[in-house]
Amino acid sequence: MLHASLWQRNADLAHCLLEHPFVRGMGDGTLDRDVFRRYVAQDAFFLRAFLKAYALAAAKSDDFERARVFHDLMTGVLDELKLHASYSATLGIDLDDVEPYAATRAYTDFLLRVAWHGSLAEIVAAMVPCMRVYQHLGNELANSLRPGHPYEQWIQAYSGDEFGQLCARLESLLDEIASNSPMVQDAYRYAMQCELDFFSAPLENL
Amino acid sequence: MSLQLIEQSPLVLGAGDLWRKGTNADFLSAIRDGNLPSDAFHRWLVQDYAFAKGLAAFQAVAVAKTPRPAQKVLIAGLSGLDGELDWFEQKARMYDLDLNAASHPTCRRYVDYLIAAAYTQPVEVLLPILFGVEAAYLCAWSSLEASGPYAEFIQRWSNPLFVEYVTELLGICDREPDAIQQRQFNEVLRHEQDFWCMTWDG
Repeated sequence: MLHASLWQRNADLAHCLLEHPFVRGMGDGTLDRDVFRRYVAQDAFFLRAFLKAYALAAAKSDDFERARVFHDLMTGVLDELKLHASYSATLGIDLDDVEPYAATRAYTDFLLRVAWHGSLAEIVAAMVPCMRVYQHLGNELANSLRPGHPYEQWIQAYSGDEFGQLCARLESLLDEIASNSPMVQDAYRYAMQCELDFFSAPLENL
Repeated sequence: MSLQLIEQSPLVLGAGDLWRKGTNADFLSAIRDGNLPSDAFHRWLVQDYAFAKGLAAFQAVAVAKTPRPAQKVLIAGLSGLDGELDWFEQKARMYDLDLNAASHPTCRRYVDYLIAAAYTQPVEVLLPILFGVEAAYLCAWSSLEASGPYAEFIQRWSNPLFVEYVTELLGICDREPDAIQQRQFNEVLRHEQDFWCMTWDG
């Protein structure tokens, strides 16, 4: 399976993500609330580009079944944005007025470049890592949940069955339409690196 | 037509210190001083080729969005870019460099920015972006005297025909840039600055 092979091939970056101070801090609940607030704002900016990339992928699909998968994935992003909106009230963030960090801009420019200019295979290869990484982190961090955990809502959202199913559907689509080409490998790895940079940015942009 | 007209344009003046940062570089100073390391020169050549390919994609999309007669300027520029790619390929053969080497992340970010913008921004914003790319390069290279081992390279991006092209690009931009046009022009200069740093630092 291509999706498993690509995940395995990028195990080094997956490991760095799990050991990242932001992720470790979220797991043990010590992550500074202000850092989390900055992350949520950046993630909301990112998700708007992610939503558009799914829409463009759907537009490039001749097959209605594939278009249906992208439609469901878009619904998933809109649900994620609802989660962010719920944070925004308690964290005091205006999600409509976010100045993106350089790492956020690099990631969204990459996604939008691929979505508008690239093939369907390249688009999906660029989008799977975000889903797979979040599912992986959600599942790993779920073990650290305890009553009153400050990041319980985030961890539950990404360790839940619903998110896992969306991730699996996107990975199946990758297996179906992409080959293990240098272009696909490159898009997947670059997206993994963008994920890592994305988690670093809220710690660096104080 | 002169560099002064370009350097006194509202977009350049509106960029403030970003203009200086995007058009001055250790790489260029080393050419002036005659001590450019060969690895920096080779890195620049390979990455600038990758950038020029990305710029060609940007410009092709921009051509399709640009109304006539302004479109003529972009089409002529695209043709020039084709010649430039040929020239890079010839130089790479001469120096035995692999133009298929992976893009440096800095080059990649610049190209991603340009191509994403080509599709998502209106033509009124794409023209200041293109003017920014070419004006910054013209002014950066024009700070050097076309002599020494890199005379051909300096001449390529500081000659009167290139000045004329950049002046024409300025002529098809709106006279008074709005906030979005200025912001995107400034973004180009940030990428230029990062790109020059990459050629020097690796």
